[in-house]
Amino acid sequence: MAAEETIVSVAGGTGIGLVPLLRQVAPFAALFGLAALLPLTHNAYFGLVIGRAAVYWILVSGLNLVVGFAGQLALGWVALLTVGAYTTSVLAAGTALPAISPFLALGAAAAVGAVAGVVVGLPALRLRTFYFAMSTFGFATIVTQIALAWRSVTGGGIGVIGPVFGGPFGSTWGFYYFCLGGAVLATWLSGNVARSRFGRGLLAIRDAEVAAEASGVFKPGLLVLVFLFAGATAGVSGGLFASLQTYITPDAFTFDLSLLFFIAILIGGRGSILGPLLSTVLLTLLPEVAAPLVAWSTFLYAALLLVIVLAVPGGIANLLDFASRKPLETGRIIRPDVSALPVLLSGHAAERQLSFEGVTLAFGGVRAIDGLSFTVEPAAVHGLIGPNGSGKTTVLNVISGYYRPGEGSVRLGERELAPGAAHSRAAAGVGRTFQTPRIVGEASVLANVMIGGTTRGRGTFLEAVFSLPRHRREEAALRERALLALKAVGLEQLAQVRADRLQHSELRFLEIARALMPEPSLLLLDEPAAGLAPDEIALLGGLIIAISRAGVAVLLVEHHTDLVFGVCENITVLNLGRELTHGTPAEIVAHQDVIDAYLGS
Amino acid sequence: MVESILSYGLAMGAVYALMAVTYNVMFSTSRVFSFTAGALGMLGGVFGALFIGRLGLPSGVGFLLTLGCCALIGVVTEFVAVRPVLKSLDQHLYVLSTLALTLMIQQFTAIEWSTVPQPFPRVLPFDLFVRERFWMPVLACAVVVGGMEFLYRHSMVGRAFLAIAEDNFAARALGLPERGLRIGSYALAGMIGGLAGFTSGGILLAFFANVPTLNFYGFVPVALGGIGNNRGAVVAGLALGLFQQAANYLVGGVFASVAIFSVFIVALLAAPQGLFGAAPARRV
Amino acid sequence: MKLTRRSVLAGTTAAAALPLVAVRSASAAAEPIRFGWLTALTGANSAPGIGFNRGVVYAVDKINAAGGVHGRKIEIITRDSQGDPAKAVNAAVDLASNAKVHAVFGPVNSGESLATTPIFTRFKIPSLGICVVDSLINPTKFPNAFRLSPDSSQWDDANRHYIMDILKAKKVAVLGDNTGYGTTATATSTAAFKKAGANVVYSAVIDANAQDVSPDLIHARDAGAEAIAVWSDSTGLDARLMNARGRLGWDVSMSGHPALGSGDVRHLLEKPEYWNKVYVVGYRSCSFDAAGKLPPKSAAFVKEVAGKVKLDDTLLWWVMAAVDAVTLVAEAVGKTGSSDPAPIIGYWNKLAKWEGLYGNYHFTPEEHNGYPTDEIVMSAANSSHDGAMNIAPGYA
Repeated sequence: MAAEETIVSVAGGTGIGLVPLLRQVAPFAALFGLAALLPLTHNAYFGLVIGRAAVYWILVSGLNLVVGFAGQLALGWVALLTVGAYTTSVLAAGTALPAISPFLALGAAAAVGAVAGVVVGLPALRLRTFYFAMSTFGFATIVTQIALAWRSVTGGGIGVIGPVFGGPFGSTWGFYYFCLGGAVLATWLSGNVARSRFGRGLLAIRDAEVAAEASGVFKPGLLVLVFLFAGATAGVSGGLFASLQTYITPDAFTFDLSLLFFIAILIGGRGSILGPLLSTVLLTLLPEVAAPLVAWSTFLYAALLLVIVLAVPGGIANLLDFASRKPLETGRIIRPDVSALPVLLSGHAAERQLSFEGVTLAFGGVRAIDGLSFTVEPAAVHGLIGPNGSGKTTVLNVISGYYRPGEGSVRLGERELAPGAAHSRAAAGVGRTFQTPRIVGEASVLANVMIGGTTRGRGTFLEAVFSLPRHRREEAALRERALLALKAVGLEQLAQVRADRLQHSELRFLEIARALMPEPSLLLLDEPAAGLAPDEIALLGGLIIAISRAGVAVLLVEHHTDLVFGVCENITVLNLGRELTHGTPAEIVAHQDVIDAYLGS
Repeated sequence: MVESILSYGLAMGAVYALMAVTYNVMFSTSRVFSFTAGALGMLGGVFGALFIGRLGLPSGVGFLLTLGCCALIGVVTEFVAVRPVLKSLDQHLYVLSTLALTLMIQQFTAIEWSTVPQPFPRVLPFDLFVRERFWMPVLACAVVVGGMEFLYRHSMVGRAFLAIAEDNFAARALGLPERGLRIGSYALAGMIGGLAGFTSGGILLAFFANVPTLNFYGFVPVALGGIGNNRGAVVAGLALGLFQQAANYLVGGVFASVAIFSVFIVALLAAPQGLFGAAPARRV
Repeated sequence: MKLTRRSVLAGTTAAAALPLVAVRSASAAAEPIRFGWLTALTGANSAPGIGFNRGVVYAVDKINAAGGVHGRKIEIITRDSQGDPAKAVNAAVDLASNAKVHAVFGPVNSGESLATTPIFTRFKIPSLGICVVDSLINPTKFPNAFRLSPDSSQWDDANRHYIMDILKAKKVAVLGDNTGYGTTATATSTAAFKKAGANVVYSAVIDANAQDVSPDLIHARDAGAEAIAVWSDSTGLDARLMNARGRLGWDVSMSGHPALGSGDVRHLLEKPEYWNKVYVVGYRSCSFDAAGKLPPKSAAFVKEVAGKVKLDDTLLWWVMAAVDAVTLVAEAVGKTGSSDPAPIIGYWNKLAKWEGLYGNYHFTPEEHNGYPTDEIVMSAANSSHDGAMNIAPGYA
């Protein structure tokens, strides 16, 4: 994705300079402005082709959130276009019910499309990638068969006449402006979703699903909202398509069309809006320009797709992402500013103790955790050490809700943390980092940190779609807070950089910043020092102590014993899922079993 | 009627099972589901019709040439659409690269071969109890699945295959020639897909539009039988063939495809790992 | 005429446009007659388009070689829609607004014709259709649209007449494929049989790519069908139906869509005799009589084009209908001296009896569906040569 686009997107309309905002909007304004001048050519053919591109874009703008942002491979989305086209045409023509105004029918198509979007998309909650792609294929076939068989309503193979939008939109160019207006609206709405916490949640689901859950992103709920949105835009697009075609029959909804929508997003670039917009226009125009090659058009589409996938996986958006080509400053030093922490962590309700009591977890016959108990006090750092395979990360995963323990309970303060339900942990006050940093590489550092603030949002999806005041205020506050968190961990100057351009050590600090966003009572750190230079480990140690001083209970899993003994008040030593011993660093260092089992090696 | 259900049902079931094995063999060494499976099946029929029917080569020569060409297409898949995207498997680029290659093959066949179904010639001068189009796919399926079992159990190459299928990184650490095995698996998949198309040529005809049919119906046994489970694929494939043919009689062909799709979705939603597959491990 | 604001406005516009028209007509002498030709020339449904195209090219070349129409050459402007309605709509607007064609021929397939017909009407382009969908011809809604081919009810009438009156079948099965054309034709044909008093014992739509079609044939046989009407242009399905019938050893007659008699079907038949007792919709102008002779005019045409136009792998009526289309446009421009829409349409509207190669058309302002039903006859599917077939047994 174009990091620049994201960064600015993330900033929302508020709290952002006018110049970057203009730079962001300019390409869209230029594109749509140019399109608005098209009637000056007095060429109905150009009007039709560009109008068609606008209609396709209305669908693609919604599908883009599903495919480009959430990473769900919805290949057969033409099914939704079909549903929208038939709904609008049938209602406007009055073949089933008394005829209604085409504009009302278009609204109905949006509603029916939204519902159908959820039906087609629902398998994505259970099925992954190729499976889901296959299931959408199946829906496309079924919708066509229904359109053929339900003759009394759809006209069967003979089809039904497309709606004619009256009033100012009745003429060729009136309808053209209607479509163009729809495209502008769709761009704005999908852009609003993309740069809201919902859009960031989608990216997180795509690239870092586990981290998304830990940040409080509830995948099923979010996907349903996005399928509703993408279904609605496809429904509207279908209605306009029917009008553009003047007459619709089931054979107008070809697989090639589905392919065009899908490929447009990937050629445009995942996670971008400008890229897919440009490639939608490009792919609509291409067969017209290359008319002598029309027989080979599908072949050429496919070849283009192959070349893009192999040569420029980031698509057009990556080609346009000039900002990410500027080299970053080398020899950067991470400078945590712990003075930001008290402000960042000032509001948390109470300092709470973690109680891990009698937990047992077995995989098949192997007991990964075997009756383990320990507590982590607020404002203290608790170390968890042990040889590889002793169950350290498994303990974190039980606390985070990725595993359901067979026995025992995990409580934070007075509240029991529900077994499983990883997405509930952020709201319950648990933040964590991962052994391998899990980030959205194509999004900016700031956007990645803002993902951590998902649970702080109160505004609804609709508020985000229409960018209403409460939503804008929340976004601005979240952005302020994310910058503060970045300041605390020492990455403030990299806020606008694509996260995949960072060094490994910087990603570790980025994850801590993200984990601090929901103001956790408990912070789980999974080998945060792995891959860090000695001076960076020292900085990390200071940061961990400062975080605990602010009242947070910290549970640290680490192999670097210097760090563990330097920052922990208490340490639990694990071996084969059981506690070997526990105590203060001084006690542990002196413990013969520990020396034998672990430190001695 | 029972005779027709059994003959067509088992033959088509065997074809679906072979397509599923094609998917599985490619998946085993690369973790990639390739849309080219359907294209290989389609090409098996078209190459057979080209070599034996149009060029008039002897059946045996045509058969071997078909397998050879399909193996080549398999290897091309590996080079063009799989290897370049293996590094970023999590981005699912393989879905796009293999889809693109498949469309190119399909479109090329449509234009250079024919847009309407072409006849597939008789392969043998005699019939064994039933016509060759019915027993050939079943025999091919039995030979392939039996051969795969034998290969896995009793040969070094087969065990190396299994090791890679189990754990790519560990296999590489053991010094197994991961790349060579992967190319080998794609050549093998090409031959199995080609075999499916060749043996069923009499039923499916040499027709470019067989690709989506074979892709979808070939994937159903993979999904229901469990990824990489060839025995599950055979059971699910034969069951699918019989179910489809029975549905053809009972509810009519057009609704049969709707019925199959519904069963596919419901079964997968109930058991995403397949009816014979193991639940996946947690991903943290 | 009632004097309204609109008519006054229209009048002034017309008056203002007059000088322009005069200028255009003056330069029109050198201007070629642009003949728009839109259909699927590649892709799965391109066989008819390829056949028609041979006729278009032949006729235009012939007229141009003879000096054109009043010195004006005819220019063919071809657009290949590939059978995709979206591409067809783009191409139709392109022909009308960009290429500014004077008349248009095509398309063949129903989905694209349904979408392009209103567009040509909007641009007032005189159009000659060859798609059989009934609703395409409506002089009120589409005053510019004329049809050279029969419509599907006429096909159905001919087929039904043959099954019921000549074959004397009482119990009938109707089969079609699951495309737009197939489902519609199956439904309307079934309804028409019932209305005519036949007993439709089985009616079904089959997947065009179905591998085994014996279930439907067995159902039809068990229901006691004495004849089967088949409405599918999928050669694969047609051949599979005949093969399944042959294997069942069932000597029921099959009749219907012309594709049943196409060359592609011949290659797919397991045995040549499976093609017996199969009849397809044909035309008197393109049928050999019992003596093996074509009607004189058609025979002369076949002789004329021998060596110039390939006929053995296409249908004679496709080629001749296309020649008729070019002739109709050229004649309208020649007789009226204008290539503007109104004179051309006006000329065609007065062709109460126009003798073409493919048929004798009858056009009036109220009737734009000009092909005479009595020239439609059934032919024996397995008798094709030079793109024509033997007339089916039983006709006088």
